[in-house]
Amino acid sequence: MTSLSSAVALPSSCRARPAGGSRRARMVVTRAAASSPKLPNGRRLRVAVVGGGPAGGAAAEALAKGGVETVLIERKMDNCKPCGGAIPLCMVSEFDLPLDLVDRKVRKMKMISPSNVAVDIGRTLAPHEYIGMVRREVLDAYLRSRAQSAGAEVVNGLFLRYEAPKEPNGSYVVHYNHYDSSSSNGKIGGEKRSFEVDAIVGADGANSRVAKDMGAGDYEYAIAFQERVKIPDDKMVYYEERAEMYVGDDVSPDFYGWVFPKCDHVAVGTGTVTHKADIKKFQAATRLRAKDKIEGGKIIRVEAHPIPEHPRPKRVSGRVTLVGDAAGYVTKCSGEGIYFAAKSGRMCAEAIVAGSANGTRMVEESDLRKYLAEFDRLYWPTYKVLDILQKVFYRSNAAREAFVEMCADDYVQKMTFDSYLYKRVVPGNPLDDIKLAVNTIGSLVRAIALRREMEKVTL
Amino acid sequence: MAMATSTFSPRSATLNKPLRAGIQLHLIPFPHLSAGRLVCATAAGEAPPVEVEQRDEAEPAPAAASNGAAVKAEAPAAKTEPPPAPAPVPAFRDARWVNGTWDLTKFDKGGVVDWDAVIDAEARRRKWLEDYPEATNTDEAVVFDTSIIPWWAWMKRFHLPEAEKLNGRAAMVGFFMAYFVDSLTGVGLVDQMGNFFCKTLLFVAVAGVLLIRKNEDIESLKKLIDETTFYDKQWQATWQDDSTAGPKN
Repeated sequence: MTSLSSAVALPSSCRARPAGGSRRARMVVTRAAASSPKLPNGRRLRVAVVGGGPAGGAAAEALAKGGVETVLIERKMDNCKPCGGAIPLCMVSEFDLPLDLVDRKVRKMKMISPSNVAVDIGRTLAPHEYIGMVRREVLDAYLRSRAQSAGAEVVNGLFLRYEAPKEPNGSYVVHYNHYDSSSSNGKIGGEKRSFEVDAIVGADGANSRVAKDMGAGDYEYAIAFQERVKIPDDKMVYYEERAEMYVGDDVSPDFYGWVFPKCDHVAVGTGTVTHKADIKKFQAATRLRAKDKIEGGKIIRVEAHPIPEHPRPKRVSGRVTLVGDAAGYVTKCSGEGIYFAAKSGRMCAEAIVAGSANGTRMVEESDLRKYLAEFDRLYWPTYKVLDILQKVFYRSNAAREAFVEMCADDYVQKMTFDSYLYKRVVPGNPLDDIKLAVNTIGSLVRAIALRREMEKVTL
Repeated sequence: MAMATSTFSPRSATLNKPLRAGIQLHLIPFPHLSAGRLVCATAAGEAPPVEVEQRDEAEPAPAAASNGAAVKAEAPAAKTEPPPAPAPVPAFRDARWVNGTWDLTKFDKGGVVDWDAVIDAEARRRKWLEDYPEATNTDEAVVFDTSIIPWWAWMKRFHLPEAEKLNGRAAMVGFFMAYFVDSLTGVGLVDQMGNFFCKTLLFVAVAGVLLIRKNEDIESLKKLIDETTFYDKQWQATWQDDSTAGPKN
């Protein structure tokens, strides 16, 4: 952490806590704007945003608003992306999301330990605080439409590859399969097209082709497997405002199983990094743990998707950069990615806009690195804390029992929700922190001691 | 079958003798098995609680639990009751587990709560649920919190025996090292402790004993150090490759 903060001797106005408010009066001072060449013939900077999810939509909107000529390429406009669908409160305010986008407001979460100790968290939430559950197809379409209204050109096509420029200030050539909506669905075939851009923003998700083309390297990823289950109305009442998290070796060796409420059904799923081949077994265990509550439900959809565990080794190369899942901005422990995708898309776009002086000058790799530096600086504490939590509390069943026990504490709940809802890692009252540390150690010691006793028991 | 049990664990035979079919004598032997003699305790300890389940609940569950689980204590139980139809997943049952928590009044031992028995019971419950995960029940939510067991009960049971063992080892090694150094150099114990080099060795020895209890601990410590910095390295990877543009760490 210290090395990162020393690295950011950047001129950007990195103020201490910008994450909470929606007003970001940041003026990124850019040296590049003065030194980079003005674009010939007074043309505007052209940027291709590959991928129309939260990252792509947010990036395209910010670029278009900043005066950059933007093309957003999305392969499936009605894509029902497999996703938990949880967004923090700060996303609603920072991105001015209309409230009807949020299907459900989760105000209660139940954490369930391997031995079924159940703890309700959410007591400390204020009435206006909640975790928003959205449908990705609705959210993504909304962000894309906003980008379009801001002036971006939204194209239905499949990105194939790009070619790096031959001279230092040359253009990138983007090759894609254009799907014409006027013809039959455009699903089969499509017409090969290409165009030239000055910069590329790779927002095409976990299996990013842009990342492959730029040689960004690989990351470890988890497989998240989810079944959407339509349960009877009387059972749905229980999940009205409640989400559940199941931890245990039976459910996942390194992640958790969940039941998240969606618009009119629940999503039951689990994930794993290390034991991907056993995912069906983990899913069965998750269904077993929630058995009584989802009894009589009908599975309406089965879906799975990779989730990155850490950023790719290289996130920028020349004037090509990655945002969102393509870059690997998913937190550990909770597996949250939507907010960071949208935020990184927006920050990247803002860096491009500033570095090009509102689309009038060419950008350079250093401008893109400014976005990386700012993003790393803002969110590194969040990522690191979640990584530590995962390492400590997802290690073993004993640690998970301690984890659930800790979650019963009010202070823990308050800290957890504050950091999740507002993306702030604010140190609380030091005395409370010491008490928390002592309680944590106590819980862990007791759980490990019980574990040693458990090993001696033969049933 | 009770004879078969006794051949495995001689001590449990003496305890099983008072148990006759149809008579509820289960709880009496159990509290005696609390601290210390753990090997015998688990062997014999499982017999009474299983008997408890059988008689209290007349449940097919424990008998059915012998689907694969080599439970020695099932044997005497099966003799007394006809083997019922096997249930697909045995549920956890215990007379003292009431409303999702342990009823402390049932752990009474001469007026005070027998915390060791509570620890044993909870360990068994967790083991059961680990091996046979159960569906959660909103009506009967589990609310047991291990912090109700006082700190001294944990200390007495887990920390003190370990501390005794480590201090014993330290004392033995220390005595012979002091003797050895004295015989070689003629420097007595008091003068040895005054020497800086000896003090350093002592510090290293204490740290080593605390951190490294088994051979595997050396590897675990090394891995731990790697683990704490691995995530940081993954995040900083994008800054490492480029020497031209971008800030360097």
